[in-house]
Amino acid sequence: MGSVFRSEEMCLVQLFLQSGSAYDCISELGEMGLVEFRDLNPSVNSFQRRFVSEIKRCEEMERILGYLLREIRKANIAVPEDDEICPVAPPPKHVLEIMEQLQRLEVELSEVARNKEKLQRNLLELTEYTHMLRITRTFVHSRSRNKALGPQYEEFQSIESDSAGCTGMQRLGAKLGFVSGLIHRVKVEAFERMLWRVCKGYTILSYAELGESLADLDTGEISTNVVFLISFWGDQIGQKVQKICDCYHCHLYPHPENDEERADVMDSLRTRIQDLNNVLHRTEEYLRQVLQKASESAFTWVVQVKKMKAIYHILNLCSFDVTNKCLIAEVWCPVNDLTNLRGALEEGSRKGDATVPSFVNRIPSNDTPPTLLRTNKFTSGFQSIVEAYGVGDYREVSPAPYTIITFPFLFAVMFGDLGHGMVMACFALWMVLTEKSHKRKRSDNEIWTMFFEGRYIILMMGLFSVYTGLIYNDCFSKSLNIFGSGWSVRAMFTDQQWTNETLQTNTLLILDPNVSGVFVGPYPFGIDPIWNMAVNRLSFLNSYKMKMSVIIGVMHMSFGVVLSVFNHLHFKQRFNIYLLFLPELLFLLCLFGYLVFMIIYKWLAFGARDSRLAPSILIHFINMFLMQGGDNTPLYPGQTGLQVFLVVVALLCVPVLLIGKPVYLYWLHRGGKSLRLRRGYERVRRVSEDDMSQAPAYADDEEEGFDDLMTSRDTQPKEVKTATVHTSHINI
Amino acid sequence: MSLCPELSFNVDHGYLEGLVRGLKAGILTRSDYHNLAQCDTLEDMKLHLQSTDYGSLLTAGNEDLTVSLIDHRLKENILTEFRCLRAHSLAPLSTFLDYITYSYMIDNVVMLITGALKQRDVAELLPRCHPLGMFDQMAAVGIARTPAELYCAILVDTPLALFFQDAVSEANLDAMGAEIMRNKLYKAYLEAFYKFCQESGGATKNIMCPVLEFEADRRAFIITVNSFGTDLSGGERSALYPSCGRLYPEGLRLLARAEDYEQVKAVADYYPDYKLIFDEPEAGSSRTLEDRFFEREVQLNTLAFLEQFHLGVFYSYIKLKEQEARNIVWIAECVTQRQKSKINNYIPIF
Repeated sequence: MGSVFRSEEMCLVQLFLQSGSAYDCISELGEMGLVEFRDLNPSVNSFQRRFVSEIKRCEEMERILGYLLREIRKANIAVPEDDEICPVAPPPKHVLEIMEQLQRLEVELSEVARNKEKLQRNLLELTEYTHMLRITRTFVHSRSRNKALGPQYEEFQSIESDSAGCTGMQRLGAKLGFVSGLIHRVKVEAFERMLWRVCKGYTILSYAELGESLADLDTGEISTNVVFLISFWGDQIGQKVQKICDCYHCHLYPHPENDEERADVMDSLRTRIQDLNNVLHRTEEYLRQVLQKASESAFTWVVQVKKMKAIYHILNLCSFDVTNKCLIAEVWCPVNDLTNLRGALEEGSRKGDATVPSFVNRIPSNDTPPTLLRTNKFTSGFQSIVEAYGVGDYREVSPAPYTIITFPFLFAVMFGDLGHGMVMACFALWMVLTEKSHKRKRSDNEIWTMFFEGRYIILMMGLFSVYTGLIYNDCFSKSLNIFGSGWSVRAMFTDQQWTNETLQTNTLLILDPNVSGVFVGPYPFGIDPIWNMAVNRLSFLNSYKMKMSVIIGVMHMSFGVVLSVFNHLHFKQRFNIYLLFLPELLFLLCLFGYLVFMIIYKWLAFGARDSRLAPSILIHFINMFLMQGGDNTPLYPGQTGLQVFLVVVALLCVPVLLIGKPVYLYWLHRGGKSLRLRRGYERVRRVSEDDMSQAPAYADDEEEGFDDLMTSRDTQPKEVKTATVHTSHINI
Repeated sequence: MSLCPELSFNVDHGYLEGLVRGLKAGILTRSDYHNLAQCDTLEDMKLHLQSTDYGSLLTAGNEDLTVSLIDHRLKENILTEFRCLRAHSLAPLSTFLDYITYSYMIDNVVMLITGALKQRDVAELLPRCHPLGMFDQMAAVGIARTPAELYCAILVDTPLALFFQDAVSEANLDAMGAEIMRNKLYKAYLEAFYKFCQESGGATKNIMCPVLEFEADRRAFIITVNSFGTDLSGGERSALYPSCGRLYPEGLRLLARAEDYEQVKAVADYYPDYKLIFDEPEAGSSRTLEDRFFEREVQLNTLAFLEQFHLGVFYSYIKLKEQEARNIVWIAECVTQRQKSKINNYIPIF
């Protein structure tokens, strides 16, 4: 049997890698994806392994690359990703070069970025300052206009007239102070409240919202700010005000003494902002250049570093032979690929300039090898459906190839519409034809990826749906009349069964196939389109589809059971055939196989003429279990006798299924007197010819595992039975 | 609906409970701690933590790896998770989560006050506050001279204002006063939280009440033990004991009368759970009383995950995560100071 039907034959292989060329060998093996490595030092902690420092270096590089990519993305530069060029892992001597390059880039980038941020911060401060000056001027002026007082002490004067008692403060020589700055819009209310509470009202706060929003450099959020001006007396209150401002993260700027100073400051600010903008622009230009250059090779670096890290992780799995200066790796390799493996090792040794070639040593093993099922882009979808139910054991029969037909077909039996099937097939076909460009896009959309991964399954399902749709004669739920119906209404009139009067008096008319010429013959392919007009269309189609489902279902299940024979034969467990396979099959065929027989028999035995006599199969089937002939007329002579026989056989299968295998195994390892038992022992010994001591160990295991075995065997047939009964119930 | 809150629990909090249980699965296990304790450098620890749920927590950024950085990152991690939970939470749960933050807020306020008394700069103190208890008005705490001023001017807008009923006094704040204020606030907080949990009823009550009772009793014990040698009298002390614990009222009265450690131990002997904690540890173990209280707390908190449809998991998760951060920092400290003998004094959680 080829590898399509069973998982690939594997063998345990020891690789002796020269420490000098081990890296290249592993790299070569990794590119080919030939082998699975076993961990030879499972007891060693991950940070105590041999190549930890190399892995750390790779991680450092990954970190720098992550930073680099983030910056590139921030600058909106596309990273060219090309699947065609797949860079191999760099040789160890080039790693330092890449590392150096990366570090240089990082230093350069972070310096430029830091400069840029500093400039931006500066710029933000300056803009805030100008805004503040602009707005506080309006405060001052509005007040001075109200009171029409001189410009020097306008605030002071206005406050004096506002609140009595402050004249005393003035007399004491308390100095009038100003604090002005910007605060977040959301915090203003709390800020004002606390200010009032702490300073007991000895402050005056005026604020106005800033027209435009400024970005916060720390969080990157854009927020609206409010400009405020606090006037207060005295140093103590001044300190408190200062503290409160600190606690609300206000941006404070010095408040100018008079209008001239304000104008001066505004002027100087304007020129500084202009300069800063220039510098900032140039910095950004330079940053972009650096990033542009880095983005060209970023993708290659990412792949290379990833591969390198993977190689060191694999090298960590190997054990180190001090005397021979070589690494020993244990791998699982498909037997067919051993020559490729040798070739890859030679290639690796050549690249690594090793004096002694690395070599391969096949070692015997009693462990169960991993299951390898090769897939291509067509079968991988079906394989993953099978794997959703469970991965088969090593060398077990793989159900995937049969699934390629059965899965889409069973889907189509349920879907069964020509039109919809066509739409589906076209969609899938489009995906299949354009798969290369889709693969390159690498979409993140989960639902799309799911469809795309299953494109071949969808295609098959669509095609099968077209087929079943033709059989059901269903196209967008309408029938197609391609070949011309086999029924004729005209014949009813020519035969004088119907007249115009019948048409007028009856709402429902029944075509009688017994009248000659009404039913010419079956429709060449699928269901006759005349059923589309019939009132009992649904009940007819349902009955038909259900019977078809029962037949297909029973066939499908029997096929599955038959497949298990190949496993039993391959694993040389002949008793499984007698104790599991045969009773299962008998059970299935005696009950449900017989049902299928009855369905087909009824189709064949009853024609249009005696269709009124046709019995209900369901009643017959139920009576079969009750073992009553009842008042039903038998379908054929000897029906009751056959049915009783079948039920008895099926019932006899149940205890065999339940306890057959455990009892046999128990007997096998307890007794030793009977002939069959000897054979059992011989078989055990033949399995482990190379190691005689394995035989008793095997027996010991059996003893301990007996209870487990019993329970596991118990449940399996039950599942089979309930499953069969259940499915047929649904079908019926 | 109110008869059986479990029935409608999932409508509002099902997602978050699932989330928190998922997060709980990422709490380090004994084998993780075992591996961490074998590390020789912080780099090794980083490498090992990478294989846990922390992932690249310590890898990001290129600062030098120090214990304080680890501590900072772990706290930040808890904060991010907590913020996510808080942002998605609905009515009873959001209040419950707020209650969790109040205890950290109390600690922060008291720390800032004591810092201000020692003339420390607020900017220097702020980074040392627990991020879970951060609030806007915090930095202004240093302005206040008396608890009354503190309450009226600064904290009246914050949720802590509720707990100030007993703590308002005109006496000047000093180190001792701050400490007393902390305990008074804490007492009010615990009692309020306890009441809230009791009113929630159902499994929340069953889970949270023992945890809070334990918390209250622990505070009572610790206050008593710490007050020996200070001029705090028994009467003053008893005003600080939270009254929602299992010691209330009989045990608290006895504690108020206690004058040395032996007498405290005698009080604990009446209660089987606390007897275990106060019993002399077997020779060779260097666990302090505090450690044993933490151990018991971890035990109680892990119990919360055995029941479903209650708010206790959120509290327990945050507390366990905090304990985990303490453990990791402890191990990191031991690693940097080469104190291998003490490295196993962490408190394993699962």
